Amino acid sequence: MSFEPEPSLSPEEVQEQVDAAIEQNEVVLFMKGNELMPQCGYSKRALGLIGQYREDIATVDTLEALDSYREALEEHSGWTTIPQTFVDGEFVGGSDVLAELDEKGELEETLDA
Amino acid sequence: MEPEEVAALIEEGIPDATATVGQPRGVDDDDHLAAEVVSPAFEGETVLDRHEMVYDALGEHMTTDIHAVELTTKTPEEAEE
Repeated sequence: MSFEPEPSLSPEEVQEQVDAAIEQNEVVLFMKGNELMPQCGYSKRALGLIGQYREDIATVDTLEALDSYREALEEHSGWTTIPQTFVDGEFVGGSDVLAELDEKGELEETLDA
Repeated sequence: MEPEEVAALIEEGIPDATATVGQPRGVDDDDHLAAEVVSPAFEGETVLDRHEMVYDALGEHMTTDIHAVELTTKTPEEAEE
């Protein structure tokens, strides 16, 4: 027997939360899990890359209502994959883009650190 | 999807691209691929735009038969460094 918990947030609530998080935070990471317990290797990698340059990262755990988060994020970035990073309201990318920016020495500047 | 097929799609979709696609988690795990793509078309493009060019080349395969692909994108000059 499988147990599927009801999503605790409605799609409208998720939409509002995503809009607000992007608008109100300098750096926000939409991830699976949270800072203390990332639930996916890519989210963990993104967190580590950003953490090198910024300590004040806002994170949002998309596992609370994954499908609604994907839809809400797509409106901002065109991407449905998690993780996603936004800086000053602008979409930066997922973990691969962060890694490549870091390799090029551009991540610190991108994060406005 | 086989790494060779993924490489072929990328090379078809991006001008003068060379794609090297491998299986970073070993030959038994074909769910997780890694692609290094070199093309002069990346010149002057942001990392985000470069990655979107690769995703565009892979098209609907990204949501159907490709589970995950880690991307690295370089211009020919960057590849020589």
